[in-house]
Amino acid sequence: MPKIEVSRQDLFKLSRMKDPGDAELANLLTLVKGEIDCSLENELKIELNDTNRPDLWCIEGVARALRCSENGPENHLSSMSSNHLSIAVNPDMQAIRPYIAGFRATGWKLDQEGLNSLIAVQEKLSESYGKKRSRAAIGFHRAGEIAFPVCYVSVETGELMEPLGYEEQISLSHILTDTEKGREYAHLLEGFKKYPVLTDTNGVIFSFPPILNSNTTGKVCEGDDDLFCDVTGTDWETVQLTATMLACNLEDHGAIITPVDVLYSYDVPSPDRKVTTPVLFADCMSVTKDEVKKVLGIDISLDSVREALLRMDYASVEIEGDTLTGILPVYRRDGIHAVDMIEDIAISRGLESFEPLLPAQFTIGHSAPVEELADAVRTVLVGAGCEEILRPALTSWRKIREITRTPIDPVMIANPMTEEYGVVRNTLLPGLLDVESTSAHASYPHRIFESGEILISEDDGVCRTEISLACLVCGNKADFGDIHSILGSICYSRDFDLSLRSVEDERFISGRCATVIINGRASGVIGEFHPAVLTEWGIARPASGFEININSLKE
Amino acid sequence: MTEERDLHPLEKKLLTYLGNNGKSSDVDIISESDLPDEGSFRRAAQWLLSRELIIEESREKEVFVELGPLGKQNLQVGSSPELAMLRATKSDSISLQEIQQDTSFDKGRWGSAFGALLKSGLLKKSGDDVLFPGEPEETVYQEIWDLVYIPLSDETEIRFADLPANVAEIVDSRSPRRGKSRAEFILNEVVTSILDITAEGREALKKALETVTIGVMTSEILAEGSWKDARFRRYQVDIPPSRIHTGRLHPYRQFLDTVRKRFISLGFSEMTGSLAENEFWNNDALFMPQFHPARDIHDVYYLEEGRSVPPPSDELEKRVAAAHENGGDTGSRGWGYRFSRAQSLKAILRSQGTALSARTLGSSPDIPGKYFAIARCFRFDQVDATHLPDFFQVEGIVLGEHINLRYLLGLLKLLAEEIAGASDYKFLPAYFPFTEPSVEMHIKHPELGWIEIGGAGLFRPEVCLPLGIDVPVIAWGLGLDRMAMLALGLNDIRDLITPDLTRLRNMKIKPDRLLTGREGDTNAKN
Repeated sequence: MPKIEVSRQDLFKLSRMKDPGDAELANLLTLVKGEIDCSLENELKIELNDTNRPDLWCIEGVARALRCSENGPENHLSSMSSNHLSIAVNPDMQAIRPYIAGFRATGWKLDQEGLNSLIAVQEKLSESYGKKRSRAAIGFHRAGEIAFPVCYVSVETGELMEPLGYEEQISLSHILTDTEKGREYAHLLEGFKKYPVLTDTNGVIFSFPPILNSNTTGKVCEGDDDLFCDVTGTDWETVQLTATMLACNLEDHGAIITPVDVLYSYDVPSPDRKVTTPVLFADCMSVTKDEVKKVLGIDISLDSVREALLRMDYASVEIEGDTLTGILPVYRRDGIHAVDMIEDIAISRGLESFEPLLPAQFTIGHSAPVEELADAVRTVLVGAGCEEILRPALTSWRKIREITRTPIDPVMIANPMTEEYGVVRNTLLPGLLDVESTSAHASYPHRIFESGEILISEDDGVCRTEISLACLVCGNKADFGDIHSILGSICYSRDFDLSLRSVEDERFISGRCATVIINGRASGVIGEFHPAVLTEWGIARPASGFEININSLKE
Repeated sequence: MTEERDLHPLEKKLLTYLGNNGKSSDVDIISESDLPDEGSFRRAAQWLLSRELIIEESREKEVFVELGPLGKQNLQVGSSPELAMLRATKSDSISLQEIQQDTSFDKGRWGSAFGALLKSGLLKKSGDDVLFPGEPEETVYQEIWDLVYIPLSDETEIRFADLPANVAEIVDSRSPRRGKSRAEFILNEVVTSILDITAEGREALKKALETVTIGVMTSEILAEGSWKDARFRRYQVDIPPSRIHTGRLHPYRQFLDTVRKRFISLGFSEMTGSLAENEFWNNDALFMPQFHPARDIHDVYYLEEGRSVPPPSDELEKRVAAAHENGGDTGSRGWGYRFSRAQSLKAILRSQGTALSARTLGSSPDIPGKYFAIARCFRFDQVDATHLPDFFQVEGIVLGEHINLRYLLGLLKLLAEEIAGASDYKFLPAYFPFTEPSVEMHIKHPELGWIEIGGAGLFRPEVCLPLGIDVPVIAWGLGLDRMAMLALGLNDIRDLITPDLTRLRNMKIKPDRLLTGREGDTNAKN
């Protein structure tokens, strides 16, 4: 979940409200699916639970929601400058980093807090929403240093730029190897013979997305009041929405936004290979009164619905007959179905306003047959003096195959976190032996068992989960006879025939190992563990065990 | 005298002995009384002392001399090597080598005797030969033989304190505290306690002798009816019991069993499924776009190449793919990307129990219907005090014609009260990719304050319609591991799956506290 850190003072200044205290703030944050993670004197950490609402991952977004819920909707990006700037995109870019959006923001004088919030939102959006700058990366520049119009072009890797924070011209390829950001994001340009840059009207490179800005334009600092923002990336929607969200943020601070006409030389999801950014999204959804009632369980007028949605900053809400059509604010694209708008109605009205109802329809509860069977067997085993064990389903190849000598390979994980948890168990016995190897100090004899899921792979690779049952006795007087008796008592209690057929199995002592046959069906294995296995596990006392498929005890 | 209680048979035996013999040492009592062994004596004495039926007059420490292995060898030979050497060198000068030809003792023992005698000045040396110019019978070695060896051969006890100083010095120096296997003597420290019967003891004994009392009941007593003329010895019932290790269910499993029973009692049916899933059921059927961050390689475990899970039917897959791409006929505009069948069929380890709900929806569930599953789930996490390699979630669905947000809140309220045992709870708007609206539930824990324990939502139409469900469905889920830690009072989540039997045996289980961590909390509202 995204978390943001904001200054309390700034948050309430931007929200145009008095600090209501943590309890009331927690209540207000339900509007943005947010929770106070940590609250200090002037520092707030807010966790935002909606991973589908990147517009909220910044102080401006949270403040806007609080403002609108109190004062109604705001018209975002409705009074932009009509003097458009332009970016021309050269054809090579399609293969390298195809999309770009931008805008100029004039008239908001950056103070320290403003600069902080700008950096915070840039980091948050490019890391999470931009997928670590691959889908979208953001650059802020001092617009006054740029000679427009701007080109988004590819250049040779040896071209020079003075990167932000450096006093000398460095080739692009060296920026990738010799700067911190270069090394961090070089993989995004791996395999390309040319690199993406922004050049000004004189052909001077002033930005190297998605890596670094130049020292001339990128050195945004306190006091600046004329910014240029570029967003580049590989995903059309991510790039456009990022630019739009940022433009709204800057406008909220009082900046006038100048749009940019981006002129592509290849087809893009916009007519005439041309798009004006920031794009003013206007996703619309329609509902009827009955549909609202069906989902929310409340009978409210469409006028009330309209009021609720306007407090969620909807760009427009129109009622026509018994249908209400809402248009999302320009910075949101998360409404893809009417239910998304219906949730906004619920959030706007507050969940506490909904009276809970108990599901009234009668249903009969059943436990799963295999679990019921397992329960019956567990009860018999506890009666036989056995202690139940619970072990993770993930374990290691070494424990199953090498130490225990299980004859069948377990299913391996392709991307394990560690080798220790690199396979899914296909037998429970190693888990019980693991218990023995760590429990020499617990008074003997030990009688332990586990019933649980194991993963079996058929010859064709198709995987299937089984509930297995394993039991182990360990101690100086525990032998094959003991474990046989326990198995016998299970079969006897279920009125099943038990017989054993001698078999060879590396895990057990030769001549003291058998296939378990229950009601004529081969169901598992029983035996006295081989001293070599016990020694490998570091177990100093004799042990015997069995493992059967619990379904073999099914009627 | 403390509380009235009958005499235990052992106590009776000890009191009888003291009654007959008066003041006696414990050594004497153990060897002469009817008490079966030293342990029985100690127990009986302990009980009687605590009830002041006997008193300990005094305690004395005494040291007794015993023969070590070398001493026993000497006794067998009939002489110590020193004495033998003195005798051999009494008249003739003779070399050590010549003495060592006598094999009564090995060369080493002859050697040490030789050294000791030279050091003490008894032997005179001239060249290689030695001579003893005196009478062996007048040396300390003869004294040792007479005062120690001879009485011990007769099993007479020798008190160290009774030995003359010169003898005592040598005996002490040849009684090593360690390495007793090469010792000539062993000094044994014995604490002797002198016990006597008290007036109350005599009284109790008299009473005990007057009546026939029954200790352990036997079938003979029942058969003969002899109990009719006897009285039953009263037991001291407040002695702490000895601990036995019983067979028992695992504490965490008991917790899970309780959760299971409660869901069944609320009318939910149990779902089960495979640990291995394909991405289709784990994610796609839940309308999680294939680019969703939670589907990243760093969040989900993929099975090795060549392993698979049976694919969904082509028709179903087409409907789900359409919902993702453009909404299909769900009324949605979809996620707007190209659905990959290859990714959909990749085998993974189930990362959320909701996969089971998806499968249930896809196989003609009952309507109305309520389902739950306690599902083992896997996420890509480092194992530590708050993360397990795999963990349990309880998840499920409620379907019905009339289901809506208010019933969803009612269900959560039910889960808070009946499953989590909480009386204070609140609902917050939440986000889950497959539900809209979505709600999470926080409950007030007595010590920790507000904690999130689960969530619910109405499945999106993009989930339900492709699976053939046209009624609203509540999807809900609760995290169990955290609740179990609270209930079992654990701070480290790894304790839930510990391989350490001692730790497991020491885990306390209180069935009425299992779900709340607080006694009787489930009934608090009644």
